Amino acid sequence: MSAHDISEAISMIRESAAGIAVRHDLGRIRKLRYSVPGFDRTTWRNMCEMGWLALSLPEEKGGVGLGMTASCALMEELGRALVPEPVIGATLAIQTLGDDQLPDVLSGEKMILPAWQTTRSGMSTSDPIPVENGTVNGVMRYVPMAAGADAFVVATANGWGLVDAHSPTLALDVAQTQDGGHYGTLTFSGTPVSIVSDTALAGPVAQATLATAAYLLGVIDEAIERTLDYLRTRVQFGKPIGSFQSLQHRMVDLSLEAALTRASVADAARIWDGSPGSSKAYAAVSRAKARASTTAMLVTRQAIQMHGGIGYTDEHDIGLYLRKAMVMAPAYGDAALHRKRFAQYMPDHAEAAA
Amino acid sequence: MSIERYQLDDFNALGDPEFRLLVRYFLREHHPVDIINPPKRLHWDEAEPWYMTLAEAGWLAPAWPREHGGMGLSAAKQLIYMDEFERFGAARTPDHGIMLLGPLLIRYGSEAQRAHFLPRILSGEHIWCQGYSEPNAGSDLASLRTEAVLDGDEWVVNGQKIWTTLAGDADWIFMLVRTDKSGKKQEGISFLLVPMDAPGVTVRPIDNLDLQDEFSEVFFDDVRVPKDNLVGEVNKGWTMAKALLGFERIFLGSPRQAAHALSRLRLLAGHVGMLDDPCFFDRYTQLRLDLADHEALFEESADRLRRGETLGADVSFLKLNQTSLFQRITELMLEIAGEDGGLLEPIEGNRDLNPMGLFLTARAATIYGGASEVQRNIIAKAVLELP
Ligand SMILES: Cc1cc2nc3c(=O)[nH]c(=O)nc-3n(C[C@H](O)[C@H](O)[C@H](O)COP(=O)(O)OP(=O)(O)OC[C@H]3O[C@@H](n4cnc5c(N)ncnc54)[C@H](O)[C@@H]3O)c2cc1C
Repeated sequence: MSAHDISEAISMIRESAAGIAVRHDLGRIRKLRYSVPGFDRTTWRNMCEMGWLALSLPEEKGGVGLGMTASCALMEELGRALVPEPVIGATLAIQTLGDDQLPDVLSGEKMILPAWQTTRSGMSTSDPIPVENGTVNGVMRYVPMAAGADAFVVATANGWGLVDAHSPTLALDVAQTQDGGHYGTLTFSGTPVSIVSDTALAGPVAQATLATAAYLLGVIDEAIERTLDYLRTRVQFGKPIGSFQSLQHRMVDLSLEAALTRASVADAARIWDGSPGSSKAYAAVSRAKARASTTAMLVTRQAIQMHGGIGYTDEHDIGLYLRKAMVMAPAYGDAALHRKRFAQYMPDHAEAAA
Repeated sequence: MSIERYQLDDFNALGDPEFRLLVRYFLREHHPVDIINPPKRLHWDEAEPWYMTLAEAGWLAPAWPREHGGMGLSAAKQLIYMDEFERFGAARTPDHGIMLLGPLLIRYGSEAQRAHFLPRILSGEHIWCQGYSEPNAGSDLASLRTEAVLDGDEWVVNGQKIWTTLAGDADWIFMLVRTDKSGKKQEGISFLLVPMDAPGVTVRPIDNLDLQDEFSEVFFDDVRVPKDNLVGEVNKGWTMAKALLGFERIFLGSPRQAAHALSRLRLLAGHVGMLDDPCFFDRYTQLRLDLADHEALFEESADRLRRGETLGADVSFLKLNQTSLFQRITELMLEIAGEDGGLLEPIEGNRDLNPMGLFLTARAATIYGGASEVQRNIIAKAVLELP
């Protein structure tokens, strides 16, 4: 595909996203929060029909064959509208599946979510769980939206293994999250598993990490836009509060952070698409996620502050952006973890020379 | 010791260390254990037993003079009282009557108002809330529009207040109302006392960011109250209310929230195994220094109070710094909590491991009691004398 085709495709993706990810009306998001599974299967099917899960999957596998640049554009739109459907997790899962599972998953008929994290901040420490006689024993944690899955694809010592979500030997514990979703803890006790691939964990997780950074970029941009709107309309002391220089300067600083995040995410997507799985690409992904996590927390905190009392309510939508940032900033590794990884993948020149 | 043993005639006659011990014993013996360091502001039904214990002991109102039923503590003893309560993690009761209205009535109220209202605050019969802010009058409080019009012997109140903390628990509201629209905004405001069960008063609770129904909107629709419910002179409410805001700021500048959060940060760091992490340790130590320095700054103001001086606009420094520090501590908590920092409920059901709740409630501290931006404006003008 030419650069022109890709940018055409990206504007199409953005436009099509606007139909489902309605950022001006968060009514659907509010209705779904704190319910189980916390998202909507009909919407999910629509998303699948639009090909959202298959954007970066190769064409021969039924995908669209676009790269991370396109995925990131989509994720940004989803972030703006706080979409709860587990697109990031399901996209990760797809990369681990065999060809025969793909059609049902891509059509939205069946939802398969990945379970690969055994500990908190698991990217650096996760170890796959062992398989014995075709069954697994162990615990997987922090599976977003687990209660809505039909099956899980689990990181085992023998490769990715498929487990039926309704298997009687699988216990699911649900802990709700601030944004209205949940994490599932999966406890396997001699649970039957069928190995579907030996795809390495690192690549798909890095792509999910970058997708999360792009989602956070959407959260950041929308929180800034909403706050700017508020500063233009809220009047105190006979003037819009946006006319006070201290608030103007703060908005300038936050917009600068947002621009850096945008540049960082775009850079990482380009580098990934150019040389997927290279050290350079992993470093760029970590750089983007570190920036996005930090900026999302900063921006959404300040957004609350500049809304005053109404920002400290659950009724005003600006708080939903803070809650989303609280969940997504640590997801797929928090800022500290990604700074560490960046330094590992991209050692400082001075250090290398010494 | 039985509660009567704590009813002294003159607390100020005790030495400071003795008084400190007395407060400590009192808390240890009489504070209900289940509400030590509550994770949220308590509603009246949760706080009532503790309020009534304080009432019975005569310990509700440390700052009020003896003649009005207070403890009559000197500034030095008040600070000890506050310090021990904070250290113990004593629960804050719905205390607007004690902290804000009482001192105002003692200073500006009529003989009849004092005789009627003060004992009822002390007995727990009247729980008060504070009705200043309105939808269009927050930082710019003087532009408030809820009005009271005299009709014969009664004031007729129309308008709306908002962000009224614990309005649903209150029996009475003390409020600022507009009684004159002609001159300068500040000069047409009066201070009025209104019973919450008066016809025409409606309360709508608002869920806050921490999902608690702590504050409310209060609507006034042709609410009639006797003429005598106005405190001080007509159109002089602004000056009286401002005297209270200064007091609120020193209270909000005390290190208590930051100190509590720091202790929770330490617990959390232990729980997630971060205490040995050198990056974390450095940031944690920085926050400890910040707290120690804030305490030192607070003590300077406290000393001035002890010497009987009044505090100037520079108390705003204390509120500004304490609330910012409180927030930074909770931000570090979220950073080290990883995915658990996004949970809705406390980690492992342990309410001492609730960085999310602390983080969210800390957001409010830089908004209420005069937002940080407003504090900075005050300091720039009144302390730094910038043009
Ligand atoms: C938890 C909580 C409890 C409360 N309890 C009570 C209560 O019991 N009774 C009561 O009367 N009120 C209460 N309040 C209200 C509180 O006093 C107001 O929220 C506060 O004064 C800010 O007003 P506002 O919400 O209208 O924000 P706004 O005044 O609209 O401010 C919005 C933003 O603009 C900024 N801003 C405003 N003016 C300026 C300026 N000149 N320069 C720079 N920046 C500016 C503010 O700092 C803020 O960031 C409570 C608030 C909270 C959050």
